[in-house]
Amino acid sequence: MDPDVELVAVTKAFGGFVAVREVSFSVPRGSFFSLLGPSGCGKSTTLRMIAGLEHPDSGRLLVGGRDMAGVAPYRRPTNMVFQRWALFPHMTAAENVAFGLEAERRPRGEIRQRVADALALVGLAALAARKPGQLSGGQMQRVALARALVKRPQVLLLDEPLGALDLKLRLQMQLELKRIQREVGTTFVYVTHDQAEAMTMSDRIAVMHEGRLEQLGAPQEIYDRPATRFVAGFIGNANILAADFSPDGPDGTLVRAEGLAFRARTGVPLPAGRGHLMLRYERLRLNPAEGERARAVVRDAIFTGSAVHYVLGVEGSPIELIAETPYDGSGVGHRRGETVGLGWDEAAPRLFADG
Amino acid sequence: MPLLLLAPGLVLLLGMFVAPLAAFMEYSFYRFRRGRLTADYNIDTWRRFLTDDYYHVIIGDTLKVATLVTLLALAIGYPLAYAMWKINRPALQRWLGLLIFSPILVSVVVRSYGWTVLLSDQGPVNWTMRSLGLTSEPVQLVFNLTGVLIALTHVFLPFVVFPIFSSMTRLDPSLREAAADLGAGWWMTFRRVTLPLTLPGVVAGAQICFVLSLGAFVTPALLGGGRVLVLPLQVYAATGEVNWPVAAVGGFVLLLAALVAVIGFNRLLRYSEVR
Repeated sequence: MDPDVELVAVTKAFGGFVAVREVSFSVPRGSFFSLLGPSGCGKSTTLRMIAGLEHPDSGRLLVGGRDMAGVAPYRRPTNMVFQRWALFPHMTAAENVAFGLEAERRPRGEIRQRVADALALVGLAALAARKPGQLSGGQMQRVALARALVKRPQVLLLDEPLGALDLKLRLQMQLELKRIQREVGTTFVYVTHDQAEAMTMSDRIAVMHEGRLEQLGAPQEIYDRPATRFVAGFIGNANILAADFSPDGPDGTLVRAEGLAFRARTGVPLPAGRGHLMLRYERLRLNPAEGERARAVVRDAIFTGSAVHYVLGVEGSPIELIAETPYDGSGVGHRRGETVGLGWDEAAPRLFADG
Repeated sequence: MPLLLLAPGLVLLLGMFVAPLAAFMEYSFYRFRRGRLTADYNIDTWRRFLTDDYYHVIIGDTLKVATLVTLLALAIGYPLAYAMWKINRPALQRWLGLLIFSPILVSVVVRSYGWTVLLSDQGPVNWTMRSLGLTSEPVQLVFNLTGVLIALTHVFLPFVVFPIFSSMTRLDPSLREAAADLGAGWWMTFRRVTLPLTLPGVVAGAQICFVLSLGAFVTPALLGGGRVLVLPLQVYAATGEVNWPVAAVGGFVLLLAALVAVIGFNRLLRYSEVR
């Protein structure tokens, strides 16, 4: 199927600062696509270029197969939900939603009907006559969404729309956004710095860092097989250690890191050299029935609600690892000072060669 | 404590404004005949202001001058503020601001004489127009309504530009991006978003400009050439003859006009209400 949005080697600089560097990706039609990264990684600039609010210095940008070079924002088949929603403060919710249809000079009856439908879709029919100042953050967010969706854009762009909401409301709106996206079937391009949010909602995630596209893939793929050390550290909880690698057999690599030495199944052996090793918190097993690889002292046990984090000092090494075990209501299993066996699956570690 | 803070302002207001107002209210009912003032209470002066064509013309001219100056100042000031806002270069903005502010730095008398020179029949403005072939005869630009309008618009421009400019800088830039994103071109964005949201600045500027124009005295006196008989000039002349009743009623009519204008302008603000 044709992609709805396609970027080919897009670069954008502000003064001397390169915000977006040679970024290429394509967004399949009807999918929920997230641009994820820390602040300043270029994700918002990328989104604003798709909207036409910024212009690429080089590269090609297509929406719906059409090159967008020189196409003004108001002529693009995209609409945007802004970071702080950017609702017109002097207009009611209904007038805000109607604005985009009035710009298209739609007949009055049609505007009334579509505005009512859009407000009903986001569950705000009863508050149509309120002005933004009389609405809560969550309600303003819904108006902004209705205002963009009512235009029936081919691609809906969302710039951290939930950033200003409190956590509870944010989780609720995440599910709501996902429901709406399924209902209308529009392609969503969603910018966020919150990896959990991206994981929850997206079909595909593009992880960005310092203007570069680090990895593109489905949430689970990115979580399980981060392509770079940055992605490994940014998404999920992971122990990251400096290590030496050497090839070991047809599908493995020998890893040495300050007192730890073990074989990792990497599919293809890595060439000898230095690099980094990633071990996710939840992939570490305490006192495994078999395959114990090290012994460690529990330095701290942190109860987080749904899980317990153990800070472990590996014996005979300065390495400190964190292990996560799910909390099942039976109490924290290991005490401070206790010595435990430490194991992990051969395929659990991810290795990143330097350079 | 709040009362203590209010006290100086209150004393000033009561002593300098309310008390004289009350005194003038009384004077307005005095009789003035053959240069003599008598406490013979009557409503003749009020009645003359309401019925006599002579006063109607003066009141009408006063309102006309104030209205035209306000409209001119807005017509020049709004685009000026818009341009200043769009320039978006702080250093240049500061210089422009100073330039716009400069009329206020010059004494009204000096400024007025400057205009008489500039606008006279042999002055630079007429010379330029003749050189460009826009006119063969000198155009009378001073000692009439035109001169008064030019000079008043010039000096009240800053009072219009700065409130508008400041309301523009407070505008959230993402609102105009949102309008563009929703399909609005420049004109629709201006009419539906920028203008309504900068209306508080327009209203504030228009109110100041209108009220100041109503009360302008030196400029119409020096540049009107006796042809622009606005109310302040009447009040001044009446004061000279110790004709307190006419001066008092004239003052009250000015005050009333100012109040009506302020209230009228405030009604415009409902287009920019955010609640």
